[in-house]
Amino acid sequence: MISLHRRASPAYICLPLVIICVVITFNLLKQTLPDVSQGAFDFSVGLSGPEAKAMSTAVFQFSVLPRMTIALLVGAALGLAGVLMQQVLRNPIASPTTLGVASGAQLGLLLATLFAPRLLAFGSEWVALAGGVISLLIVFSLSWHRRLAPVAVVLAGLVVNLYIGALSTVLILFHQEEFRGLMIWAAGSLAQNSWSDTLHLLPRLVVVAILAGLMARPLGLLELDESSASSLGISVRKLRLMVLGLSVFITASAVSLVGIVGFVGLAAPVIVKLMGARTLAQRLLWAPVFGGLLLLTTDLFLLQYSAQLPSMVPTGAMTGLLGAPLLLWLIPRLSLKSTAPSTSKTTLQTARKPTSRMFLWLLVLLTTASILALFVTQSIGGWVFNGTGQWESIVTWRIPRVLAAAGAGVLLALAGATIQRMTGNPMASPEVLGISSGTAIGLILTIYSSANVTAPLLILAGATSAVITLAVLILLNRRTGFQSERLLLTGIAIAALFEPLRSIFLANGDPRIQQVIAWMSGSTYYVDSSTGLSALIFAVMMVALIPLVTRWLDLLPLGRNVALGLGLSVDRVRLILLALVAILTAFATLIVGPLSFAGLLAPHVARMLGFSKALPHLVGSAIVGALLMISADWLGRQVLFPQEIPAGLVAALLGGAYFMWGLRRY
Amino acid sequence: MTSAMYNNNQLRLWSLKNTSHANRLFGYMALKVCTAKCHGSNFSAMLVFLDNLLLSVRYFGHPQARVRGFLLLPFFFLTFVSLNVDASVSIPSHSQNETPRVAAIDWTLVETLMSLGIVPVAAAQIRDYQAWVVEPSLPEQVVDIGLRAQPNRELAASLNLDLVLTSPLYGAIEPTLSQIASVQTLTTYNPENDFWQNLVETTRRVGELTNHSAEAEAVIEHHRRQIDQMKEKIATDTPPLLVVQFIDDRHVRAYGKGSLYDMVINRLGLQNAWKGETNMWGYTTVGIEELITEGYLVIVDPVPMSAEGVFDNNRLWQALPAVRHDRVLSLPAVWSFGALPSAVRFADELYQALTDQHATELGLKNL
Repeated sequence: MISLHRRASPAYICLPLVIICVVITFNLLKQTLPDVSQGAFDFSVGLSGPEAKAMSTAVFQFSVLPRMTIALLVGAALGLAGVLMQQVLRNPIASPTTLGVASGAQLGLLLATLFAPRLLAFGSEWVALAGGVISLLIVFSLSWHRRLAPVAVVLAGLVVNLYIGALSTVLILFHQEEFRGLMIWAAGSLAQNSWSDTLHLLPRLVVVAILAGLMARPLGLLELDESSASSLGISVRKLRLMVLGLSVFITASAVSLVGIVGFVGLAAPVIVKLMGARTLAQRLLWAPVFGGLLLLTTDLFLLQYSAQLPSMVPTGAMTGLLGAPLLLWLIPRLSLKSTAPSTSKTTLQTARKPTSRMFLWLLVLLTTASILALFVTQSIGGWVFNGTGQWESIVTWRIPRVLAAAGAGVLLALAGATIQRMTGNPMASPEVLGISSGTAIGLILTIYSSANVTAPLLILAGATSAVITLAVLILLNRRTGFQSERLLLTGIAIAALFEPLRSIFLANGDPRIQQVIAWMSGSTYYVDSSTGLSALIFAVMMVALIPLVTRWLDLLPLGRNVALGLGLSVDRVRLILLALVAILTAFATLIVGPLSFAGLLAPHVARMLGFSKALPHLVGSAIVGALLMISADWLGRQVLFPQEIPAGLVAALLGGAYFMWGLRRY
Repeated sequence: MTSAMYNNNQLRLWSLKNTSHANRLFGYMALKVCTAKCHGSNFSAMLVFLDNLLLSVRYFGHPQARVRGFLLLPFFFLTFVSLNVDASVSIPSHSQNETPRVAAIDWTLVETLMSLGIVPVAAAQIRDYQAWVVEPSLPEQVVDIGLRAQPNRELAASLNLDLVLTSPLYGAIEPTLSQIASVQTLTTYNPENDFWQNLVETTRRVGELTNHSAEAEAVIEHHRRQIDQMKEKIATDTPPLLVVQFIDDRHVRAYGKGSLYDMVINRLGLQNAWKGETNMWGYTTVGIEELITEGYLVIVDPVPMSAEGVFDNNRLWQALPAVRHDRVLSLPAVWSFGALPSAVRFADELYQALTDQHATELGLKNL
């Protein structure tokens, strides 16, 4: 990490925030208390003097004050949790949101609302805690093999976030009306109407803060490497577990009260560190202070200007929106310990020798899946197996979907295989690179802002936003020579921008939700025959172009220096490949939405099957991708018949089990 | 037709350019399909396609030709798909006075159909309809065709529908649905017009489309009369009403201009106390501190579990003028995006609640 000014102190940034808060609070008070201004109660016809005074006192006492307090407390809790996580994991970008704790808590609450509402009455805090702990455990198990290296942990967090996002999405898709309240919660609204939340959080925060203070000294020693810390008599493992437990607990407590508040947990520790809080003790003091002030300032701004906003913008989503650019700004300034050499070797180990027989088997499987998808379905009277009498529906409804699924699967698999070979990182995928999310952001904004949404408009918007995302990726990574880990972090930041936008959209209870989330979870439903056909043709063309890039992709995993030595101009090649990946992803995203995991899974499966050299690996991935998407699409149409689960989601669910099991070996 | 012709020309070009045996065979097949398609129906194209299939099976039988035969595979997809290009669908016509076989995607339209005495053949998300719209309830035989945003088209196609009713909310699926049956998109939520008039227009239009115009007029008249009767009985000095639905223990939806509730309130000669901004569907999400009204606070069920009982000891809630003066009315669930029956049901529930409230207030005064 770097610090901006040697002699700076976090007080320099906290003080202006305090001033801003005081100014806005005074302004709001003027509006709330009728003694100062007359105009505030213009819609309460004939509210008499003493009654108005009583009401405004109550509003101030039980809504405004608790809201400001809870903003401070939640911000402090998240800031504290962020410091602890970053310290324990020695990871400058660890935080409750990036580690998947917040989204795990959300999924826990969604499931409880649906299947065990009584559990919520018992204590939503514990449900949130259980969800958060489970997702954190998954993140750790995914990054254990790389000794919890910062980038590996954050990537695993992103993948878990994406999975949980997919799962939540399908729940929301089928239970739009039941989740009205939970959607607002997920966007992090700080609205209060009593002191009960404050009284709930305050003692917990105090206890956790005291415990953290007691552990500050041994924790500080963790900054040394592990062996020297344990030689000083610290049980490193026990300490880590305890501190992590503390930070997850305080996160779950805060999150279960007011919902997901994005990025305060990441931003507060990082900014106070940049502003000169160099020791852990300083950061433990300043990060909660700054976190609380940051959240309060954001909330007060929103309160002040909420009347001018077209829709409700919950505070948590707002901090998320602010935090993503911060992360983008931060990435080029992070010093990352490179862990590339060990991975590039292990990722390319071959399990067994591949044969052409393997290709044959894959093709047979692909054909079988296609036939299944085309000819077997459920209808009103049960299962239908033979093709007679259903030609019409095969041609009109099923062929376009199978073509589109296959095409998108191939495109995503190629993009995924390329990017995994290019970065030498088995977690990399188009989803992780943020191009899918970037495209989705463009499409959401288009749907939201235009009354008449047409297909050409969507294609234009999608393509434009894919290009913009790519430009951002390139601009931010040009100076570092498209170094793979920074590239992935940039992608994470872009993906992080997408989440709050989605939350805002969902929180407003817009009736258009269902359509948007159906598309976002990767459905081939809206595909017509010409789209399906062009997807397949484009995919076939891309497969035909593979031989042009195989040499690059064979050399790049050997590491930058080896590749340079063999006469590859690494930076230029990376740029070209990046552009290629962007085009592939944008096209696939337009067809099946941003959430299909084919790009992550297909290259893995191909490598597990033994395709290790670039050419067979890419071709194998393409076939596996098509197979995955076709089967997922078919399953999605049959499982909940007549309701359809989007293909991307089924692919994610199918692949999820495999992924958790298989990834630990890499 | 233009895209079919384009396809046709393209295929002819291919077949002329390539002289290899395989491709000539393919060109012949594709041409046949396209011609059949231009001049005939999908069915004749299908016959030709089957003929092609037989031809190619014979062709695959020759071992030496098998390799070249593989070249045919991608073109098969083309042939398949060319069948679907510019598919003109013949809609099964029903005679002038019969009730068409109709399906409705949007719940407002399902409700309207039921009010005209027409049981739709199919509707979307029936389980959720029964939970949220409740009345009029759908009989068993109505087929569930899945999500409102993604109705199952294969299933719909197998139901032999004449007419599908939908709203602009689900406009994205109109082009593909129109391959199954004639699709009519009815706009009920149009903030520019009077909402009552919108509902009347929708009902009238549904009546026309289903040959139930007379019934539609009767239903409109019946509902209008019911509301007018209630209006006459309601005291003109009734204070304004603020209609809300609880979302959780911190947020409510307040219904203002452009919502069903607002329309009913105005129609009853009452005043809506919510004058703030609302979205396209006539509501906005606010905290309970905004629910300041001198008049009645009307809570429409369902109250979510998280908000149940929370307000018994809440000081802010107790300070609300409506709560302080015991002017909180609780109404059973009425679908907030409903049609005429929902409107009248809401009017009726509101009328009952106001009458009870009035009696209580009078009783208090007389004590």
